[in-house]
Amino acid sequence: MRRFFARNAPAYVFLLPWLIGFFLLALGPILASLYLSFTRYDMVSAPRWIGWGNYEYMFTRDRRFWKALEVTFTYVALAVPARLIMALGVAMLLDKGLRTIGLYRAIFYLPSLLGASIAIAILWRQLFAADGVVNQVLAMVGIQGASWITDPDTSLYTLVVLAMWQFGSPMLIFLAGLRGIPRDLYEAAEIDGTPGWRQFTRITLPLLAPVIFFNLVLQTIDSFKTFSSAFIISNGTGAPADSLLFYTVYLFNEAFKFFRMGYASALAWFLLVIIATFTAIAFFTSKYWVHYENERD
Amino acid sequence: MTKLTRRALLGTMGAAAAASALPTMPAFAADRSIRHYWWGNPERDKRTFAVIDTFQKKNAGIKVSGETIGWGDYWTKMATQTAGRNMADLVQMDYRFLFEYVNRGALKPLDEFAGKSLMIADFDKGPLDGGRVDGKLYALNIGSNSQVMVHNTRAFQEAGIDADLINWTWDDFAKVCEKITSKSGGKMKGSDDLSLMIETFESWVRQNGREFYGPDGKVTATVGDVTGWWQMWADLRKAGVVRDKNKTVILDPPIAESGVAVGDTAMSHYWSNQLVGIQAVSKDKIGAAMVPHKAGGKPGQFIKPSMFLSLSRDAKDTEAAIAYMNAWVNDPEITGILGLERGIPCSPKVRAALAPKLTEVEKLSVDYFTAIQSKVGPLPLPAPKGAGEVRDAFMRIGTDVVLGKVEVAKAAGTFIEDAQAIIERAQ
Repeated sequence: MRRFFARNAPAYVFLLPWLIGFFLLALGPILASLYLSFTRYDMVSAPRWIGWGNYEYMFTRDRRFWKALEVTFTYVALAVPARLIMALGVAMLLDKGLRTIGLYRAIFYLPSLLGASIAIAILWRQLFAADGVVNQVLAMVGIQGASWITDPDTSLYTLVVLAMWQFGSPMLIFLAGLRGIPRDLYEAAEIDGTPGWRQFTRITLPLLAPVIFFNLVLQTIDSFKTFSSAFIISNGTGAPADSLLFYTVYLFNEAFKFFRMGYASALAWFLLVIIATFTAIAFFTSKYWVHYENERD
Repeated sequence: MTKLTRRALLGTMGAAAAASALPTMPAFAADRSIRHYWWGNPERDKRTFAVIDTFQKKNAGIKVSGETIGWGDYWTKMATQTAGRNMADLVQMDYRFLFEYVNRGALKPLDEFAGKSLMIADFDKGPLDGGRVDGKLYALNIGSNSQVMVHNTRAFQEAGIDADLINWTWDDFAKVCEKITSKSGGKMKGSDDLSLMIETFESWVRQNGREFYGPDGKVTATVGDVTGWWQMWADLRKAGVVRDKNKTVILDPPIAESGVAVGDTAMSHYWSNQLVGIQAVSKDKIGAAMVPHKAGGKPGQFIKPSMFLSLSRDAKDTEAAIAYMNAWVNDPEITGILGLERGIPCSPKVRAALAPKLTEVEKLSVDYFTAIQSKVGPLPLPAPKGAGEVRDAFMRIGTDVVLGKVEVAKAAGTFIEDAQAIIERAQ
């Protein structure tokens, strides 16, 4: 016990602000929402216990719930790989050892800082509007653009593109990972005459696996929780025709527009289950494809 | 959830500093304070803050703090404050939400003040009764309005349109749309596409002899009503005489983006108290027409209270709050500031006092109001709980119809089914 303290005390001191915040500010509401998910609560009259009623409604009668799942899963399936590939690509370009690399890193990271903001979502809406910049550029090269945002067939893809553009933070992590790969491996491959593509698949990817895994988990969690961009671009409703009805947007509407706080809490807990499941799958499968360099096996 | 803003923080610090600097000063001002919360726009906010200043000058000892926000976020904030038992003393209320808030017990009735501190005896009975739920007055009418087809008078003149814009029918409307579109060579379409406007659709249902919601709050509009409505607009779209479908599916756009304001179309649908606002963003002079009638049908349009002032359950100093409310609808100086921006006042005295000073567009709205008096039907009952969600469903399913992704009849069936389910679940 004493040794434990001696070894870990500094860590806990640094964790203290977060721990205090968690126990004082987050834990209460989290438990309250678990309770509320079993009630009918309109935020004015007292919550009324209805057992599994909310969950039952969710799975058996709520068509929009399934629609929200469909939209969110489609988005996660497209946005996470797109963003990771983009991030890895840019990281590899920056890994070439440019002298101004610090500057480039900052520039490429910038969209991620802005990405979650309201302003970018509004900008995105303007860019992809029927008479927006994207269509004007397309018109210049003779292509008739679509109305990207207002057409339910394309609206989700504009958000995937937005997600791709916010590759900054996984890119930085990839970059750090790439820096950690011993250079002599590439030199040896070079001498053996291994082509670039094989160097990438045989050296870079395997050695980068732990970092890819880390990014994959974080980005998946992040994408499931996508809210502000979808909320702004769809005017808060999931429009057009529910094609942007992200799970969180639906949850927000149920809670704050239609006063079904109990139902919204149930939705939130189910989202937690989904995210936990995906994270668990990633962890359980990781032993088959992620190898740590200092592992002795 | 209260957010500590920088301004609030500085304000508190300033107040604390002042309090410590002047320890012996008697507390003379801000002894009593009330909060007033409304949804607004820049023009409305300007007028309302001027009203607050005037009221405070006349009533030293009562401090009024105004809180304003746009319509879109208004109800979210209100719901949170209601849940937190932190509602403003006086809240602006809308006919669509009144029933919902009364049912939740969030508002106090005003009957006990009437005739004592709230002088409303000489007000028009119809508009005043719009604020009654189960016989009790829960909301004080601060302006009435009705639907209006705003139109571009220049375009109408150029196309040589001589239709009677108060008594016209949907057939006349379609002809006008064609004329305007062909006259302008397709540059200006006849009208905005109102497929997604449930407010206008409700009039359509009434023209067919039904209400959208029956007396028990159930959906009484039929699949046939919805099919008829969406089919009519589908035909107009096909003829190319209404606004581009990609513009139509942008939901609840700001006034400045409506067809008339932008110049895309010659007609848009609005509420009559918004005439002032639309004229402000339109190049050409606007005019006011009624929602077209159904040939041989019932009156569909109605006059409704555009906004109310309500006393909230959380109000502590009700006496001060009622004094403020009374000044709002009676004090000549204050009603002069407010003008017609929130709708036509229901006090005959106030209307008479405003008459000589009206601007051109204000006069348009008063004349329009007078002209439609005998053409409108009775005020429908307040919408039941869940009506807001039904509105969303109408726009959501209608979007697929407008974009041609679902057949009209099938979509109409889905909508009625969904609407019934929403209402049932909300009770």
